[in-house]
Amino acid sequence: MKELINVHNLTFSFAEQEPVLKNVNTVFPAGRVALLTGPSGCGKSTFLRLIAGLLPKYGGTVTTGKIDFNGQQPTVGMLFQDPLMQFALDTPRHELEFVLENERVPRDEIAGRVASALSFAHITELADRQLTALSGGQQQRVALAVVIARQAKILLLDEPFASIDEANRHFLIQQLDKLVNEQGITVLIADHDCHGYQQLHPLVYQVTGGQVQQLSPTNSQQFLDEADCIARQPLQTQLPLADDIAALALDEVTIGRGDEQLLSIPRLKIIEGKVTLITGPNGSGKSTFFAALARLLPYHGNISYLGTSIQDFSRRRYRQELGLVFQHANDQFLNVTVEEELALSKKNGTHPYFKDHLAAALQLLNLTGLEKRVVYSLSGGQRKKLQLLLMLMMGQSVLLMDEPFAGLDQKSLQNIFTLIHQAQKVRPQTLLVISHQLAGIDQLVDFHLCLTGHQLIYQTGGHHES
Amino acid sequence: MHKHTFHLRDIILLALIAIIFGVIYYATGFIYNALTVALTPVGYGPMANDITIGIWCMAGPLAGFLLRIPGSSFLGEFLGAAVEMFLGNQWGAANLISGVVQGLGTELGFTLTLYKFYNWLTVILTSLTATFVTFGWDWFRNGYNHFAPHMLVVMLVVRFLSMFIFSGVLVKLIANLLKRAHVIKR
Amino acid sequence: MNPSLKLFLALIISLEITFTTHLTGNILIIVAALAYLILSRVPVTKIIKPLLITLIPAAALFSTIAFFSPEHNVRFAWVLVSRLYCYVSVGAAVTLTTPKLDLIHSLEQNCHLPSKFAYGFLAALNLIPRIIQAVKSIRVAGEMRGVTLHWWSPTLYFKAILAAISWADQLAQAMETHGFVEGAPRTAAQVIPLRKVDWACFVVILIVIQLILIALP
Repeated sequence: MKELINVHNLTFSFAEQEPVLKNVNTVFPAGRVALLTGPSGCGKSTFLRLIAGLLPKYGGTVTTGKIDFNGQQPTVGMLFQDPLMQFALDTPRHELEFVLENERVPRDEIAGRVASALSFAHITELADRQLTALSGGQQQRVALAVVIARQAKILLLDEPFASIDEANRHFLIQQLDKLVNEQGITVLIADHDCHGYQQLHPLVYQVTGGQVQQLSPTNSQQFLDEADCIARQPLQTQLPLADDIAALALDEVTIGRGDEQLLSIPRLKIIEGKVTLITGPNGSGKSTFFAALARLLPYHGNISYLGTSIQDFSRRRYRQELGLVFQHANDQFLNVTVEEELALSKKNGTHPYFKDHLAAALQLLNLTGLEKRVVYSLSGGQRKKLQLLLMLMMGQSVLLMDEPFAGLDQKSLQNIFTLIHQAQKVRPQTLLVISHQLAGIDQLVDFHLCLTGHQLIYQTGGHHES
Repeated sequence: MHKHTFHLRDIILLALIAIIFGVIYYATGFIYNALTVALTPVGYGPMANDITIGIWCMAGPLAGFLLRIPGSSFLGEFLGAAVEMFLGNQWGAANLISGVVQGLGTELGFTLTLYKFYNWLTVILTSLTATFVTFGWDWFRNGYNHFAPHMLVVMLVVRFLSMFIFSGVLVKLIANLLKRAHVIKR
Repeated sequence: MNPSLKLFLALIISLEITFTTHLTGNILIIVAALAYLILSRVPVTKIIKPLLITLIPAAALFSTIAFFSPEHNVRFAWVLVSRLYCYVSVGAAVTLTTPKLDLIHSLEQNCHLPSKFAYGFLAALNLIPRIIQAVKSIRVAGEMRGVTLHWWSPTLYFKAILAAISWADQLAQAMETHGFVEGAPRTAAQVIPLRKVDWACFVVILIVIQLILIALP
């Protein structure tokens, strides 16, 4: 098998930080799918950007080594994690024209190539819609059409399915398969959630500790099997009882996004003082559900908090009752240093546990000694832990947590569970947790809601989640 | 690490900053109208413009402090005006002229420091140059030579205060935060 | 008419009337601009809206000059009001009849505006909904920590600019993977013609305006 991408002894670091990649040596064969996996922040996205030639141009330095493409200069296409952040123009058609103009395609050929790219991605009927009005999945289809229009030889995908629904994920994987088999395109995918990739027969590469290691065929197979399986592990949870008190109650609630209906919930109660886990496929509307509960999005029907409609609370009052732990830690911060962030939550927070045990909590989360650091310069894991601590300290009665454990190692996760347990003992909060990381989560959660088919349904012990 | 040209990333960033200011100050348009209505009966209607002008001119100085490339203040202000024109602000093409005038006004302050200082002196200089340049333009546009002299003095002082508070102090406070977060180097 | 020429014409007219005090001239320009808008089949509601909004500053300017200035110069007050309406109607004659992409393409093709300015600017415009959402969620992040962020709070801008920096980075990288190279030659899917007729229109209108502003009383 011919290799197309050769990585020799590559070391890369961002300004004044530990190298993200250390003396990496690896090859990627032509016409195959490579799946790069590893926890968030392991450097797989950095690696893709190096191959795409975006780094070191957009930051950081290569201290040793190089990447070469067998002496050729193949066209490299890329799909990014945030679907909207990849377009310059307003509609799919204009974007494709822009792309072909960049490639200096003669004017009379442009329309034809636009049309065939649109048709490959099955978005012909969306060609003149505003890109901002499309769903994440549709936007990724447009990004795929761009790759087709450019006739890229190498296609890089950086967690491309993070915010898109299963149907679009399935479609895109199918089209990738077609590209690889019919046009011999080389595909590299970086993802931490590796379910559903078996169809592409990928070569699996593990990215950890600055190294990129290709797994043996047996290990690859085992890894992919496990990835498909993890999502189906049963959780030991109970159904709430009829007389459990509801903190939040929903009645005939529907929530839409654009012109599609995401959620339709006849009746649902979220039990007070308990921890409820929410799972469901990407793009099914879990974050949207939180946004509605937090009054960030409009909805139809009635949502009440302890018997009163949430719309009847003043804004200030409601924010004191219900907090939201954002999916991206950076969105939570308001100040510059760790110290300032902690001071703010200490001043305005009401959770009794942290009044006496803050130092111990910092110790437990391994955050001691970072007080003077700029929050944005912390590692991904440190930011996640700090964010969670800051919001726990605030002590709202209800706390919505959107992927609070993403990118954390097993030990940090265990410590966070311990911390939440201790805090819950002193003052039980109603915690709603969206998480795709389910290992060991049994010990934290009381109830489990699964979002499928626009509905949120409580699960019991033996359920197999898809 | 001196760079003297604008790259694609800088241009997108300046336009985004202009939009951010526009979004946050969307409400200010109404403040402007409300102020005008309130001040007109006492003969100071046009002063609404002087009171709020510092708010319109914030994008320029901020761009200057953030990118530290000659011309960034001008470009920040001008792109802001272009955004307003494209979003269908009532003044249309005239926005571009105001954008040029305000951009020149704020840029001049940085030019006077030879693009070497980014401190409180710079704040005072840009506030002064922006005040005088925009006042000079409005002199012709709004026929200030027909205004009562005492009124012009009041308007000039108010305009400077507005520039100093919003395009000066507030911008510097934002720049300080960005500097502490290591977004602005040096 | 070619979009760039149309824009330059509007700019020249706007500049010129700033330095003249010709009431009849101003009114003729307003009438011509409005006629052009109607002939271009722009919906009347779209034309009327900016005219109505301008009533407030126009009234303020008028009353200040007419009633509160030392000379109570009513005629000059009318000149200023008509000048404001000139800006508005001439501006509308450009923006309401020219799709923004045509104007950008024209500036790129006919005026050789560097493409990084043209497309960098367009890319930013696409993010407006995202920016509105971000500003909202920054304020919510504040409220949940017991802090109210007002429009004069530096933190609000600081957070929004941090987000903008990361977006600008992402967008620039994405555009690069879409084949965009600063300063590199490009082809054009839509050619915006710059014909002799356009130039002729441009020159004739300019001459007519000079005649009106100079010859008419």
